[in-house]
Amino acid sequence: MIEFINVSKSYDRGIKALDNVSVRIDKGEFAFLVGPSGSGKSTFLKLMIREETATSGKILIDGKDVGRLKQKDIPYFRRKIGFVFQDFRLLYDRTVEENIVFALRVIEASEKDIRIQLKNVLAMVGLTGKEKFYPNQLSGGEQQRVSLARALATKPPIIIADEPTGNLDPTTADGIFKTLLEINARGTTILVVTHAKDIVDKLNKRVISLDHGRIVKDSQRGGYQI
Amino acid sequence: MKTRTYLIKEGYNNLRKHGTKTISTIFIICATMLVLGIFIILFQNVNKNVQTVRLEQGLQAFIDDSATQDDVEYMMDEIKQIPGVKDVTYLNKDQAYEDAKEVFSGLDYFLDGIENLQIFPASFVVRFERIEDSETVKSEVEKIDGIYKVKYNETTIQAVIAISKVANVFLLGVGGVLLVVSIFIISNTIKLAVYSNKREIFIMKYIGATNKFIKTPFVIEGALMGLIAALISFVLISLGYVVLYARAPQIQASLGVFGFLPYSNLWHQILGIYIILGLFIGIFGSSISIKKYLKV
Repeated sequence: MIEFINVSKSYDRGIKALDNVSVRIDKGEFAFLVGPSGSGKSTFLKLMIREETATSGKILIDGKDVGRLKQKDIPYFRRKIGFVFQDFRLLYDRTVEENIVFALRVIEASEKDIRIQLKNVLAMVGLTGKEKFYPNQLSGGEQQRVSLARALATKPPIIIADEPTGNLDPTTADGIFKTLLEINARGTTILVVTHAKDIVDKLNKRVISLDHGRIVKDSQRGGYQI
Repeated sequence: MKTRTYLIKEGYNNLRKHGTKTISTIFIICATMLVLGIFIILFQNVNKNVQTVRLEQGLQAFIDDSATQDDVEYMMDEIKQIPGVKDVTYLNKDQAYEDAKEVFSGLDYFLDGIENLQIFPASFVVRFERIEDSETVKSEVEKIDGIYKVKYNETTIQAVIAISKVANVFLLGVGGVLLVVSIFIISNTIKLAVYSNKREIFIMKYIGATNKFIKTPFVIEGALMGLIAALISFVLISLGYVVLYARAPQIQASLGVFGFLPYSNLWHQILGIYIILGLFIGIFGSSISIKKYLKV
């Protein structure tokens, strides 16, 4: 569960990125976060993973007050959230398998868990058989699947995807969203930041619209509207 | 693979990835260690020779001119009773004059006309059972009434001691500068390593890596550089000393009393100091950069 309670965030020189935002995304929900550039979407995500701290208000993730986390607890907290980036952020000198195992090593998983999870996530994102490929040998869509597999490997209850299809053609983008829906069907909460109007309209999921740091619309079964 | 093994492997991979930089860093640490190694060898050899000479020649205790023959006998008995004294010899003023003539050999015209003035003081030459007793014996002798000055009889190696003191200061100075340079260079290498691993570090942070997990490979990279430099330096200095020791008879002949310690007495000390120093330079140097450039 993700809950923002009267959250505001101001940067230096008085720029207000978020202005009294209150929103709640329940466990197992699939939601889109939309809005024009500079509307506060990135700040919203950064606050969620405690890359930034709110100027005022409270953020609860899985019942934990993110703003009150001790520095040493932040890494463990971040393991609850899998992050998928627009530009994939893969390690290009490592194979698909090594990229995924890297995430599992980071959380200090056991050898047994690494083996099991690797197999599971590769199957989940449809990359079984491509373990030994390097990212450059894969298409954009496949690279994003590796990024997705890496995010899933640590079994986070929440997945944040920041413009996951921004660099992909529509057909490939459809495939990525199909996979995200499948992951959501298994109980993972998913929050997708996107500009992909067609997909948002087609999926008919919850849409939270941000503009000038405020939530201007929150429709349970909405289309892309700013 | 355990996390610890993984982190060590990552540190080693970093080391290989930054090949040229790694080699030049190891090279400068080696230079530091070689200078320090020469210092240790020189210091230990001079120290050993000083001890040998002290043991052979003992100390000289000068007697007040006012002392009577009875006083001298009494003092001699006192000295003999000090624990650690091997033997005591009395040198009267005439013998002192003869000794002086020996010291001034070739320039003994300086002493012309003073042979009857008896200006050279009578003294005892006290030798020790063991070199470890020398300081306690010296302080006990100093306490005896009628003795006004006590010094080690080490005129023969005074020049060696003086030269080695200058050399030690010089070597320590150069070593100190090189140590600072080494730490600076290693921290610079690690800084570049941090930059070149920026992508990994970014991803690690998002996945939830602990600070320790992110930092450890860099510390290991630094420590490995220090250790490799320690081993290379140890091989180089060992070869150097063995070659020098093989020529020891000629060198000893030209330096007079000076004798070399066998390497079997030195190698463990040098290896130990090198390993500790290598780890110190590596870990300290990398920690500086990690603290400064790795905001996790």
